[in-house]
Amino acid sequence: MRKKLKIYLPFVNAGMQETATYRTNWVFWQLGNILGCFISYFLWRAIFVSSENGSMNGFTMPQMIVYIFLMFLTTTLINSGGTYDIGEEIRDGSISMRLIKPISYNATFLFQELGNKIMTVCVLIIPLVAGVEFVRYRFTGEVQFHILMFLLYFLSAIFAYLINFFFNICFGFIAFVIKYLWGANMMKNCIVGFLSGQIIPLAFLPEMAKKVFLILPFASLNYTPVMIYMGMYTGTKMLMYIGLQMFWVLFFWGLSKLLWSVAIKHLSVQGG
Amino acid sequence: MIEVNNLRKEFKKTIKEPGLKGSVKSLFHPKTEKIAAVKDISFDIADGEILGFIGPNGAGKSTVIKMLTGILTPTSGTCTINGKNPTHNRKNYVREIGVVFGQRTQLWWDLPLRETYGVLKEIYEVPDDKFKERMDFLNEVLELEDFITSPVRTLSLGQRMRADIAASLLHSPKVLFLDEPTIGLDVVVKHNIRNAIEYINKKENTTVILTTHDLADIEMLANRIVMIDKGSNVFDGTISELKSKYGQIRELNFDTNDSEAKERLVYAKHFKVNEEDVIVEQEGNMVKVRFDSSVIPVSDMLTYTLGKIKVNDISVKDADIEEIIARLYKHEVG
Ligand SMILES: Nc1ncnc2c1ncn2[C@@H]1O[C@H](COP(=O)(O)OP(=O)(O)OP(=O)(O)O)[C@@H](O)[C@H]1O
Ligand SMILES: [Mg+2]
Repeated sequence: MRKKLKIYLPFVNAGMQETATYRTNWVFWQLGNILGCFISYFLWRAIFVSSENGSMNGFTMPQMIVYIFLMFLTTTLINSGGTYDIGEEIRDGSISMRLIKPISYNATFLFQELGNKIMTVCVLIIPLVAGVEFVRYRFTGEVQFHILMFLLYFLSAIFAYLINFFFNICFGFIAFVIKYLWGANMMKNCIVGFLSGQIIPLAFLPEMAKKVFLILPFASLNYTPVMIYMGMYTGTKMLMYIGLQMFWVLFFWGLSKLLWSVAIKHLSVQGG
Repeated sequence: MIEVNNLRKEFKKTIKEPGLKGSVKSLFHPKTEKIAAVKDISFDIADGEILGFIGPNGAGKSTVIKMLTGILTPTSGTCTINGKNPTHNRKNYVREIGVVFGQRTQLWWDLPLRETYGVLKEIYEVPDDKFKERMDFLNEVLELEDFITSPVRTLSLGQRMRADIAASLLHSPKVLFLDEPTIGLDVVVKHNIRNAIEYINKKENTTVILTTHDLADIEMLANRIVMIDKGSNVFDGTISELKSKYGQIRELNFDTNDSEAKERLVYAKHFKVNEEDVIVEQEGNMVKVRFDSSVIPVSDMLTYTLGKIKVNDISVKDADIEEIIARLYKHEVG
């Protein structure tokens, strides 16, 4: 285990350096996301203002605001570029450079991304959590921050990240088959965005759809951690959803292993 | 050490008919065609041998190297390296090999070179003292000192190539695969790299497979040549075997005051052979005659020449490997 860690630790470092090298790019990327966040804030504010009783499907307006910003934070935390990176490496053939080293293909990606993540978390988490807590304080008049809730949220976000990572790896392996999947990736992002509650809280959906969507792996991505943070999942309900997350992590981990062993036989490294 | 048996690789290619109609059609009914890039190639390499693996562009050299290094799975046939099958236990297998693809780097683009070697040290589990010793040696032969603190993306082609070769040697591999390791290098660096390869081969008995379009690499390094063309074996043997098999071409050079030597020497007519078998060029006093010694014996050539004109100095040169190979590629011989 220790030896393993020593092998992959340099990848974390490489990921951090990568983020540091392209920090301007990173800053603009995050600014773009925050802008999108404000757009949906104004949109939802308009919807709430025009509604009659000031509450929708169990969400009050302050809760909705908290939801939007937490969604943004969570999406950033668990975001994974695996699909794109794998697709790109297959397309230009640079995947061969990972294959000639005695290391696990998935693990190098995971640890490299972890490096990016550490940078992102360090920069974003404090201002965003402070912002969310400020909104909650303004509307309710009391501090609602519980360290335990926050830690549970963080744990759940880690599971969500792992699901997302392995899901994206699985999806990326499709690149072995169709060789280029930019379009498919766009479509996937839209569908996942909707099913994971990034656009509308899943609570707003019709009963039947909600039941199905909550079991699907996508709700385990953003929705579960956000609900935990907001205190909407507590007790056994929370444990159940965290358990479901763990199930999906294992599922996609196994699936990625399986797909990898199939894909490697069909790999046709291009170029050279 | 390395056994390659009837190795074959077919690629599926989608063929698109031209124009918009063709694009739409290929979207729904993609027509695929199998092309064999490598057609049942076999050869063996002994422990500690340096094999020059050559062939014209698109012959299938890189494809073979990719199969030998476990990147591509062969369509059929087998390759065994040091008793191992590259595609069976990849992680275990690649520990013992070093690979350089000249057109592509295996270094981390954003890491300073020194840290890249640090990463490789961990990956291959090289002990500290061994690592230090190795780095000192590589530093000396490849002169990495000047740019070892720069990020890889800022290196020049030649610097990057040296860095890549050093990276492939860090863990003292048993087999070294080099796919065009000298493209784009200046003469001095080329020379250093050849020396490094030769030194490692001698010192550690490393088996080396080398593809290159620079035949000087082959002449300096290779004990043996395997030549392929359009995916099939064309030649397998030593350089002197290649020369004696195809290289009956000799070059007669002489110095004469006779400015009409070229006109007066009517070799083709005299020996009753085709014009192409004897090519005469004259530049001032210098005359160069290229001929096939299996058609005209060297002694006859000399007797005739010396009898016909007065020469100041004369020499006969052996076949030039570059020329033999060019002829082989053009299918003029063989
Ligand atoms: N991924 C691929 N898909 C389809 N065809 C391929 C693929 N890779 C290689 N080929 C074809 O296989 C043949 C052999 O290619 P390869 O790269 O092995 O040649 P090479 O001997 O290395 O040539 P060069 O000296 O130019 O590097 C070529 O005709 C090439 O077009
Ligand atoms: Mg090639």
